[in-house]
Amino acid sequence: MSPARAQRVAQAWVALKSDDPEAVSAVGVARRALEAGRGLLSLRRFRLFELRGELPERAQVEDLLHRSTQFYNPHKEHAVVRMEAGSAAPVEPDEQVVLVFERDGERKPAAERWWLHVTGLALEVREGVAWVLRFEAGVDAARAAADLAVLRGPAHGLLCNPHAQEHRLSGSAVPLPWMAPARRPGAGSAR
Amino acid sequence: MSALRVAVVQFPGVNCEDETVRALQRAGLAGEIFGWTRPAAGLREFHAYVLPGGFSWQDRVRAGALSAKDPLMLTLIEEVEGRGKPVLGICNGAQVLVETGLVPGGGTVELALARNHMPGRGGYLARWVHVRVEASCCVFTRALAPGTVLPLPVAHGEGRFASRDPVRLARLRGAGQMPLRYVTADGRDACDFPDNPNGSAEGAAAVCSAKGNALAMMPHPERALDLGQVSRCVAGEWAERRQRAGEAGTLAAEAGPGLVLFEGLRRHLEES
Repeated sequence: MSPARAQRVAQAWVALKSDDPEAVSAVGVARRALEAGRGLLSLRRFRLFELRGELPERAQVEDLLHRSTQFYNPHKEHAVVRMEAGSAAPVEPDEQVVLVFERDGERKPAAERWWLHVTGLALEVREGVAWVLRFEAGVDAARAAADLAVLRGPAHGLLCNPHAQEHRLSGSAVPLPWMAPARRPGAGSAR
Repeated sequence: MSALRVAVVQFPGVNCEDETVRALQRAGLAGEIFGWTRPAAGLREFHAYVLPGGFSWQDRVRAGALSAKDPLMLTLIEEVEGRGKPVLGICNGAQVLVETGLVPGGGTVELALARNHMPGRGGYLARWVHVRVEASCCVFTRALAPGTVLPLPVAHGEGRFASRDPVRLARLRGAGQMPLRYVTADGRDACDFPDNPNGSAEGAAAVCSAKGNALAMMPHPERALDLGQVSRCVAGEWAERRQRAGEAGTLAAEAGPGLVLFEGLRRHLEES
């Protein structure tokens, strides 16, 4: 029997190798239709996985993620794995990050089953979308990102509908972990 | 050709525009596809609007999110909120109406059509369900007696009416802004999957604005225009009608359960 490992958290930042059509459309709409989007220079999109449990070493985590389409397609996408808070996310110093995930729907049961089947280790897998935004110089980037994040009406917000989704905001120093399980009064453990 | 013109607004990725036009024509209205590249001002010439089903903009960012920001929608909002013209959003069209805030109205976004909640599974679901007409001010269902049960098809992955305010949908129901709710085949409240196919709060299958002129509904009435389209898995009164029509060879000629909503629109336009 292998010795018990400590609970750890890893993030996998997955992006298309080609231009991402969702990001291309979103940046066009944000610039045209939203005040906060006028100064938007670029918008990149990542699928962000957060893995929590008894994780092996980084190289093994990268290999496991690479092997299963539950996480990404290595022919079309690439992944950057973070396992320490000090390691860099694929975000430049002048960029803002908006993380969006489904309320009560961020867990990935099929990916968790695959991981358990292959490694014998139980794991919590969560998935969200990380939008990485860069604004023109002179724009209050944190404020503009916050405005673009939360949908409020036809002229306000885009990335997160707060009636079904949660969001988190960050600069380039992205927290790890970032997609903490929701805690509600009287609620049990996350699904 | 009817003088009552209805624009079927087509964003790229919409795929139910032709059958929606046929539904309007069958109800006695002049349906016309209005493509997203046309000048938005042209929308003002129409008496009513339908946003049909499909996957506008490939559901990029979120279902309905990008279409809700389209310049066409700004004009449509003016016509619907300012001049009281009716608009029906079906499935993806419902998602667009919710993302603009036209439903339930009030100038801000108050709802979402969230991913389906289904026990032991996720993703897209296509099946026939039953909805019950509730007392409401909705112009599309006003002619129908409350309690009427209609079998209609659903086909969506994000159709769960949701709000971060836990009592918002109950309030909408109490205010008569929930004209269609999922029920069992014999008309009882749908408590579980698959009668409630997506876990929608209050069993909401449709929500309308306070004036009743904007309706967001997840089932597809345009796919139930005649009895020949009614699924063989549907039981009860509509199955008996289908059986009789089949024996008489009139399946395509006799009205199906979805047609009544388009007829309701025609009656409203004729009276207003």
